[in-house]
Amino acid sequence: MKEKGGAGNKHWLCSPFAGKRARASLFFLLLAVVLFPTLSHAYAGPGAGFAVLSSFWAIFVAFLYSFYALMTWPFRQLFRFLRRRNAYGKATFERAVILGFDGMDPDLADRFMNEGRLPNLAKLREKGTFSKLRTTFPAISPVAWSTFMTGVNPGKHNIYDFLARDTSNYLPFLSSAEIKGPKRHLKIGKYSIPFGKTEIKGMRKGTPFWHWLGNAGIFSSVIRVPVTFPPEKFQGVLLSGMCVPDLKGSQGTFCLCTTRASSDKFREGGVRVPIERKNGVCRSYVPGPENPLLEKAGELRVDFEIRPELGSRSARFVFGSEKFTMKVGEYSEWIPAEFKAGMGFTAHGICRFYLKELSPEVEVYVTPVNIDPGHPDLPISHPVTYSIYLAKLFGPYATLGLAEDTWALNEHVLDDDAFLAQAYGNHEDRERMLFDALDKTKQGLCACVFDTTDRVQHMFWRYLEEDHPAARDVPHSQHPPVIQELYERMDRLIGRVMGKIDEDTLLMVISDHGFKSFARCMNVNAWLHQNGYLTLKDGKTESGDWFEDVDWSRTRAYTMGLNGLYLNIKGREKQGIVDPVEADALKDELQKKLDGLVDPASGAVGITGVFITDAFYRGPYTENAPDLLVGYGAGYRASWDSVMGKVTGQVFEDNTKAWSGDHCIDPRLVPGVLFSSHKFIEDKPAIVDVAPTILKLFGLALPAHFDGKAWNLATKASAHQG
Amino acid sequence: MAGYAVAIAAFKLFLLTSPLAIVVVVSLVVGLLMVVLFGYTSDQKAIGIAKDQLKAHLLAVRLYRDQIPVVMGSYGKILRGTGRYLKLAFKPLLYVIIPITLLMVQIDRYLGATPLPPNAPFLLTVHTTGSDALNDVTLDLPPEITMTAPPVHVPAGNEIVWRLAGSKEGKYEVKIAAAGQSAAKAVCVGSDLARISTVRLRGQFWERMFSSAEPALPENSPIESISINYPDRNIEIAGYGMNWIWLFFILSMVAGFIFKELLGIQI
Repeated sequence: MKEKGGAGNKHWLCSPFAGKRARASLFFLLLAVVLFPTLSHAYAGPGAGFAVLSSFWAIFVAFLYSFYALMTWPFRQLFRFLRRRNAYGKATFERAVILGFDGMDPDLADRFMNEGRLPNLAKLREKGTFSKLRTTFPAISPVAWSTFMTGVNPGKHNIYDFLARDTSNYLPFLSSAEIKGPKRHLKIGKYSIPFGKTEIKGMRKGTPFWHWLGNAGIFSSVIRVPVTFPPEKFQGVLLSGMCVPDLKGSQGTFCLCTTRASSDKFREGGVRVPIERKNGVCRSYVPGPENPLLEKAGELRVDFEIRPELGSRSARFVFGSEKFTMKVGEYSEWIPAEFKAGMGFTAHGICRFYLKELSPEVEVYVTPVNIDPGHPDLPISHPVTYSIYLAKLFGPYATLGLAEDTWALNEHVLDDDAFLAQAYGNHEDRERMLFDALDKTKQGLCACVFDTTDRVQHMFWRYLEEDHPAARDVPHSQHPPVIQELYERMDRLIGRVMGKIDEDTLLMVISDHGFKSFARCMNVNAWLHQNGYLTLKDGKTESGDWFEDVDWSRTRAYTMGLNGLYLNIKGREKQGIVDPVEADALKDELQKKLDGLVDPASGAVGITGVFITDAFYRGPYTENAPDLLVGYGAGYRASWDSVMGKVTGQVFEDNTKAWSGDHCIDPRLVPGVLFSSHKFIEDKPAIVDVAPTILKLFGLALPAHFDGKAWNLATKASAHQG
Repeated sequence: MAGYAVAIAAFKLFLLTSPLAIVVVVSLVVGLLMVVLFGYTSDQKAIGIAKDQLKAHLLAVRLYRDQIPVVMGSYGKILRGTGRYLKLAFKPLLYVIIPITLLMVQIDRYLGATPLPPNAPFLLTVHTTGSDALNDVTLDLPPEITMTAPPVHVPAGNEIVWRLAGSKEGKYEVKIAAAGQSAAKAVCVGSDLARISTVRLRGQFWERMFSSAEPALPENSPIESISINYPDRNIEIAGYGMNWIWLFFILSMVAGFIFKELLGIQI
């Protein structure tokens, strides 16, 4: 019955009452009801009853809550006062606001500031701090943000990449979280009914600094900081960010429903689903998670119908109980997707549709099915009600960690405009969340990370350069200024935040890393193969994904993920052959050979540094770290194949994908940014210093295990007053 | 088969004659119809948003309970949100309130009062335009209705009251004459469900619509109203008697809430 879009249709039931006469009759009848009440119409039916009950129920509950809050407030304040004396008593600021702009590059920021495009950032630079912010080794978001929040090096928080490797089979797994279904099942015929809870294990170790603040009674609002899934309990509210899976459990699987016959599969991140056309009606489905109740797992689906409207470029969609109309080139709102498994089990998701084409073929792009924030089947916030609160306040929003569908743009399923519409739609939702958090958090910490900066730079760096392999078909003069507009948009956001804060608020704008071009790919596995460190099975010249054709009994080193290089060590890897005693020598050898490796096609240095991780990782989780990190030069990155454990014949090749900028290179080349409203005295600030700095500013003692150091504040003159 | 047919017939009879069954069935049907009508005549999207906002502010009170300004601000938003929600609910209520009121008036004629028990005394009250007219009023009774006490004149209230009793079940008419004009009033004696009119009125269109099931008294008649004090009907549930309207209220609400979920209608 719910209707979305196509507003303005008057139902036939309304028409008899449209005339003046009808309205007059209605008025007099109502007047009669009011003036001549009798028992029978004292109660005007369920409609009035619903309205009265629903609204007064809300007021009643609110009253109870408020009464409880007011009555207990003095006691809680007393308790908090006793706890907080040491925190706020010594705090330099009432509130700290940290805006994380994932991937904001200091060189680009400097350039745009100098061109007068970023007045608000320039104001921060002038009155407060602007500096490069040293990133982590490697310069990858989950690693850097984990260090940001815990104040420790990766050896203590256990995140080295998006992926980690299983030494028993050389296969990858998600490094940040592990989701396991219930262990016990009751088998009844074809059904296997799970008992118990789904177990979600966070793999990131260490304690985020807002936990220390919470222990001291300082409230925090934390929004979309990466690697905060599963959410942990603390005093404050938190919405998880990067690494939250979609409803299928993946990091984002889009769906292209199409009438075009094709057996091609997308390299990653998407599936193709056929549309059946019959009598002018198109039918397809959105694939969902596996059915948890069936012993032989089958995919759950939600069917939908498309009815093209004659003579227009729009179509009527019927998706489950939802009905909506869309034009070609438009996105739908977030639509609830309920995947019914039977026996009352339903998985709740949301997705958006994008109508690509109606004639001659019909094509619809469907976003990955996000976990429904208003009805989360997995916890995506702390407390669980926080995601629900945001959904009720602002409507449904993207919950997927990597919500901007870069794969769809890479695979040409979305074009530039459609991708940007999606990315900025998500961005606006997060802006609303940020401003609500600012309104609600007048004291304490408010931290919010925006992914848009990272995703847009990844996908549109090609337009910043004259001769990027991914944009050679577009003349440079026609390159749209997407990244410049992105920075301007972020600057306007900062301006609005500055309007909301006062002298007693510290504003920090940071990024986890910077950005560089990604024009050339390098397959280090191919280089290892060509140089005798990696051996393929007899007769093979290349290997498929995840080392399918690698002969481990004759392989000494391999790469997986974005920067990690591993030795095949005896006793650690299942088929390891490198004696641990010889490992150091092999690391040195690889370092010497790879460092400074030149791309023969361009003459440029493809690798500007190879780092032996023993030298800079310390902590209890160093055994999970790669043995070496490959630091690619500007313009280079691990190839798409190399990341997925594939061995190709070529070491270097052009990157022609829309994903044309990157940061997974030599970390020394891609520092992040640090802006602040108050001036810090620090020569070489690093992202690892943020946590200790915040704790210090709130007057808390620094935990002994911190690797970062707290910066010193020069003055307390705020930029916004300048 | 015969047993089945008898059971069905007995059930139908029960439905037709049991006030409880009638209230249950009517409540379910009305609950469904009202939900559907509400759904079609309301701005479902706006109502959904208004309700979500209310829920959000309720959650805010809980999430930020240590911050009194936030709690009080949320409370204010809840009050404003409630006003917004009631405003949105008002339009569909206009559509809903008319048919339901007319329906309830009709049902109340059957379920609001019981017929007069045979041989039990009841009061017939005639209200005139002035106290002078009281002396001219005469009563003409059918053989099955007898007067059990002389009439009582109440000049202060322009009323004359007779105590009567019906000896046999049935529907009768008593005739009241005044100033040369005669008017009849229906009297229902018995125990079955029957359409009962407790009062007959002169003029007073809107009150007559809601209170009387009989034609209006002549405009030039000195009689303003003729009423009978029928006993109120109580429906017994678990040994507790209640007016049908309360039972209808509860059951139609429950039915409405169930149907709104099934039909996906925002209320």
